[in-house]
Amino acid sequence: MNTASNRLSRVIQNGLLAIYAIFALFPLIWMIILSFKSDAQMYNTTFIFTPTLANYKAVLFESDYLTYMLDSLIVSGGAVVVSVVAGVPAAYALARYNFKKKEDIAFQILSFKFAPEILVVLPLFMIYQKLHIYDTYFGLIWVYQLISMPLLIWVVRGYFEDISVEIEYAAQVDGYNWYQIFFKNLIPLIKPGLVSAALLAFIFAWNSFTFPLMLGGTNIQPITVAITKFLGTDSAHYGQLAVASAISALPAIIFALCIQKHLVRGLSFGAVKG
Amino acid sequence: MAGLRIEHLYKRYENDGKKKNAVKNDYAVKDLNLVADQGEFIALLGPSGCGKTTTLRMTAGLEDITKGEIYIGDTLVNNLHPKDRHIGLAFEDYAMYPPLTVYDNIAFNLKAKGVDKAEIDKRVREIAPLMQCDDLLDKMPVKLSGGQKQRVNIARAIIRRPELLLMDEPLSHLDGKARQAMRTEIKRLINDIKCTTIYVTHDQLEAMSLADKIAIINFGVLQQYGTPAEVYDDPVNEFVASFIGEPPMNIIETTIIGEGDHFLFTFANSNLKIAVPERYNNVVSNGFKCKMGVRPMDVLIGGADSKGTPEEVATFENLGDERRIGIHVGSSLLMLITDDETRYKAGDIIKLEVRGEKTHLFDIETGNRIRA
Amino acid sequence: MSRIQLENVTKKFGSVTALKNVSLDIKDKEFFVLFGPAGAGKTTILNCIAGIQLPEEGVVKFDGEIVNLVDAAHRDTAMVFENYALYPQMTVYDNMASPLRSKLYKKDEDYIKTKIQEVAAMMKMENLLERLPSQLSNGQKQRVAMGRALVRSPRVYLMDEPLAHLDAKLRNAMRTELKEIQANFGTTSIYVTHDFMEAMSLGDRIAIINEGEVIQIGTGDEIYYMPCNEFVAQLMGDPEINLISGTLAKSEDGYTFTMEGAQKTYELPKEKELFAKLGELGLSKVDIGMRPQNLLYSFEPKEGYIKCSVYSYESIGNKSVIVAETSGLQLRMIAPNGLSVKIDQDIYVDMQLDHAMFFDAGTKGYLTRYNEAAVRAIAAEQEG
Repeated sequence: MNTASNRLSRVIQNGLLAIYAIFALFPLIWMIILSFKSDAQMYNTTFIFTPTLANYKAVLFESDYLTYMLDSLIVSGGAVVVSVVAGVPAAYALARYNFKKKEDIAFQILSFKFAPEILVVLPLFMIYQKLHIYDTYFGLIWVYQLISMPLLIWVVRGYFEDISVEIEYAAQVDGYNWYQIFFKNLIPLIKPGLVSAALLAFIFAWNSFTFPLMLGGTNIQPITVAITKFLGTDSAHYGQLAVASAISALPAIIFALCIQKHLVRGLSFGAVKG
Repeated sequence: MAGLRIEHLYKRYENDGKKKNAVKNDYAVKDLNLVADQGEFIALLGPSGCGKTTTLRMTAGLEDITKGEIYIGDTLVNNLHPKDRHIGLAFEDYAMYPPLTVYDNIAFNLKAKGVDKAEIDKRVREIAPLMQCDDLLDKMPVKLSGGQKQRVNIARAIIRRPELLLMDEPLSHLDGKARQAMRTEIKRLINDIKCTTIYVTHDQLEAMSLADKIAIINFGVLQQYGTPAEVYDDPVNEFVASFIGEPPMNIIETTIIGEGDHFLFTFANSNLKIAVPERYNNVVSNGFKCKMGVRPMDVLIGGADSKGTPEEVATFENLGDERRIGIHVGSSLLMLITDDETRYKAGDIIKLEVRGEKTHLFDIETGNRIRA
Repeated sequence: MSRIQLENVTKKFGSVTALKNVSLDIKDKEFFVLFGPAGAGKTTILNCIAGIQLPEEGVVKFDGEIVNLVDAAHRDTAMVFENYALYPQMTVYDNMASPLRSKLYKKDEDYIKTKIQEVAAMMKMENLLERLPSQLSNGQKQRVAMGRALVRSPRVYLMDEPLAHLDAKLRNAMRTELKEIQANFGTTSIYVTHDFMEAMSLGDRIAIINEGEVIQIGTGDEIYYMPCNEFVAQLMGDPEINLISGTLAKSEDGYTFTMEGAQKTYELPKEKELFAKLGELGLSKVDIGMRPQNLLYSFEPKEGYIKCSVYSYESIGNKSVIVAETSGLQLRMIAPNGLSVKIDQDIYVDMQLDHAMFFDAGTKGYLTRYNEAAVRAIAAEQEG
């Protein structure tokens, strides 16, 4: 009797989960379906239609899509690299050293993320014009790291705080200098956190829309901005739009799959301890 | 009248189908029988994961019983809700209600039962001095030290005047002296209120100090149930012998040889020979292999004219109150404790005498005591 | 091969003074124990010697050479940390090899391998070498932490409460093991502990530390038998020493001691040196220190015994402690395990006063004791 009721509750649990999964995945599925429809069939079919690769051809070979993709990669990747190079030492300092206003500074860094982008983008636009970094890789990377750095610092700081300081002392006594300790002992220990934070930062940067819309121009157009081009003033190529969106989601998915092991461990571990 | 009676108690956790080849007898508690008389203090003692807490939780009604019966007083409580079992609980984590004062925490259960205010007040004021927490009553739980929290916790458990008081490692969060002091307090309290008590611990010292009777459990199976003196002097098997006492009983593999009309314990790679007590004459024979156990207090240093075996001191520890000497017997270290004031050092030769009558024999395979 | 000296070392953390004017002189090849309650500053002393912390005042010397400005890596010390501080991402083998692979103390891999195997055999952990620290029990981690220090031949071994996180039984067993391999150290060692049994067992000499200050330095016997004040007397020994307040008075041919509260007067056993010392001091208010094993008890009334009631009877392992109470005074004494003693039953207690120590009731400082000359002789011999 006991086992029978257990089985029933398990069936119900799984059923509910399945319904939720379909609900959550529906936009994605819809997008994939759209990407295989021709414009003609766009509005008068739902699931039954003649699949076509025309949209893919148009997007990949007849537009500058790949250039936009590359722009996105450079800008987002650049921001993550900057965040790691500057953020990891910053996180270490926040975790290990005591200095005046430490918590204020830490909070200040986090607060970059509080302000709505739309609010700060106008002053930034004017500053960028003056500094002549409008519509440059440098300018966009700089503004993108505003998105990625706080996240990275806060996650990695938690990881550093979890490492007992005696481990560093032990390594010192073992005869290692600070740089050796940092790269040999600390980096491997924060790796799960670092990798997951970097990935999340990358995804946030990749999806950013307001900043590149306002601070990028004709030279540099990350994919999020470029996609809007498929919405013409007189016509909307939903099929091509769907293709562009689907492909633009790929890098994040690929990265996430590659480092899934770290990601799960990193996020859950960091969540509990951080 | 029994305070608590446990009969053929079994507990088995459902493994949710993941471990397909889970062993059949995967019991957390297995055929446990225990009778505690009214007012007795019983310790459930064993290493972590041995099933002692599970037993306690089943008694409290916090865990389903797989098989068997539990009686509190003369009432079968298997199907009673915890609140109807007339029990008091004091657990390892203090779990007080943080927004309530100590007074309200202690009074909480009575309030929930709808006891009238004057009565509650009377009882709280009665209990508080017993647990030495009368001056804590207006404080908030966060302001208390570990020892104080534990006092309140116990006060809360006994204010209901339970028929049965259940405690699960109540001292494990305290350290050193606080722990020792609290132990004494619990002992005196239970002595005063005369409540049947089941006390779960993994610390043999606590069990030895507090309990009228100790139930030693390992792998869900009751090993021995007896008074502290019984489990100390007359252990049923190797596990009990080595679990009780600090330093633990010396247990060393031995081959018994016959010499004339008596027998001797001999040890591999050692010239040590110890007389086998005569009462074992009909169970041992020449070449009989078993394990010999002897408590460190029962190994002595002989005087100059002693006939004891000369042995080399491997370790000498002067602990002030006593001295401990370790001697290599084959690959084992035989420990002895002495009040002798001589300061030895490693390498010195001492004459070793063993109180033969205090030795125990254990089966090599099963670890069970071999009795005469 | 190293003599370690601290001269007037003061260390502050912000406004908190962790060490006040600490001076120590640790001899070459000595096993020196820093003993005191939690928060006394023992670990800070160790950190100052290791170079992990820099004292504000005073100097640290290795073989007469001031090392204040030498960083931790270059001091050539090996340390065992209280929380073991194993590198979680490395196997036990790599953990132990770590100091021998650093640039400063570099050894070739063959040497490392033999050395690790040697130490692993000594610490009985050959079967653990391939494991990760997360797969070890506390006792095993402790072995690895110790092993990581022992693979080196540093100028000094520093050990910070290496056994503190083990349960009582394992701690005692490990202490005995440590005592056994201690002979192989052959190197100056400084060992921090709050467990008096470890201090007594392992230390050639012990320094008692409290609130950042050195209270007393001496061999175990010296400190146990002649503690410099009541605080030290209470630290050394489990169960704690009995301190009994009372009044000294001169009698016909000696001294009497009248217990406060119980109002019993004892004739002090005669000892010429002791009486001379007491006469010299001329104090009347004293505390007498009696170790629990020097108290006698009887469950029947006996000539000269004071009537008390049993407050508690508890096992401490291989023996038990009876606490007897009389007019507010609690007396601790040793008894065998397994007696049938009831709480609050009558018990009669006597003191073997020829083992007594005398403390000044005001300053709580040590005055004198019976057999002082003999204790001094033992101490002198051990020092030599």
